[in-house]
Amino acid sequence: MSRPASTAPHLTMDRLLAVMEPASEPGHAAARAHLEGCAHCQSELDRLHQRTARLRALPALKPERDRWPDVRRHVAARQLRRRLVWGSVGGVALAASVAVIVLLRPAPLEMEAVHDPQAEIEAAMLQSQLLERALAEYAPERRVTDGYTAGVVAELEDRISALDEELQIFEPTPSSAASNDLLRLWRERVGLMDALVDVHVTRASHVGL
Amino acid sequence: MTRALVVDSYTVADVDSVVAKARRGDPSALEALYRAFEVPVYNLARRICRTVEDAEDVLQETFLEVARSIRTYRGDGSLWGWIRAIASSKALMKLRRNKYRDTDELHEEVTAHRRDDHLLRMDLEAALDRLPDVSRAVVWLHDVEGYTHAEIADMMGKTTSFSKSQLARAHVRLRRWLGEEVKA
Repeated sequence: MSRPASTAPHLTMDRLLAVMEPASEPGHAAARAHLEGCAHCQSELDRLHQRTARLRALPALKPERDRWPDVRRHVAARQLRRRLVWGSVGGVALAASVAVIVLLRPAPLEMEAVHDPQAEIEAAMLQSQLLERALAEYAPERRVTDGYTAGVVAELEDRISALDEELQIFEPTPSSAASNDLLRLWRERVGLMDALVDVHVTRASHVGL
Repeated sequence: MTRALVVDSYTVADVDSVVAKARRGDPSALEALYRAFEVPVYNLARRICRTVEDAEDVLQETFLEVARSIRTYRGDGSLWGWIRAIASSKALMKLRRNKYRDTDELHEEVTAHRRDDHLLRMDLEAALDRLPDVSRAVVWLHDVEGYTHAEIADMMGKTTSFSKSQLARAHVRLRRWLGEEVKA
């Protein structure tokens, strides 16, 4: 035989919250019955409703500065990247030949004597594209990620985006200094892309994907 | 399933056309989406994240994701619901990444000097801000955004019970800090 509501223990917060849920949960009916005869708990429930309503009525906070220009720059840089990957620089045969070069040279972009900066730049661009393709085929967006990996990936992607912005605004001149600057940027990009692929693949092996 | 607590009042003129253009990478369409949802996304991010800078980062990351993934939006749910899910995920990821204080124990240490202020009535903004980060996120996602415990648990990688207990403990604290305890 159940105790009258006036002598039964008051409802705990989690039971009050359960009463507010739209779906019926175990103990829902008993809690409702208690509320019928307990002014204290009814008052708690009313205050809970009011507090929730006040939370919803809090004013919307607005950003102090416009982030759209930053978003637009990043999107443009990404679109450029995509064009570079799928676009104009090389055909399949050329990419395949570079792949052979890459395979034969484990660290092809380690600084050696640069005999032909333009050729080195093109090789770096193609290597970057191959890494982009490898990453695209891996489809990391469809895989589970843990917080730490997500942080590392986000940082690498941010750095790649920043680098792409630099590449986008880079104005080549015939000077060798400009070629070396461009080569440095592309080498840096390859290094970051390589790290990004590595992080994704390492993460996947950890979680067994 | 998300309860319809938040009215999808953030409108974009001719939404189908804007989404179609955004899928093709049209910057003006992407900007239209940004302008339409900038405030609700930022508000959600700011309520979950501890700092203005983090909330702004979430705002930016959300719309980068929108631009990247708009092709996958099928239009079978509300556009705001889709964008909000991205924003929530980014904000929670920011919480995890920054290793904010997210345990009650640490939070109690941080706020120990304020333990005696239970007689002071705080306003709701201040009380919400004082909650541990994970609790605050659960309160906001459940009570304001209308996510279910199952959805919150899924987003946080926790159990439904975890979400429920965080919400209950948060409300106990809010009740005390707001001076709303019912006298027995």
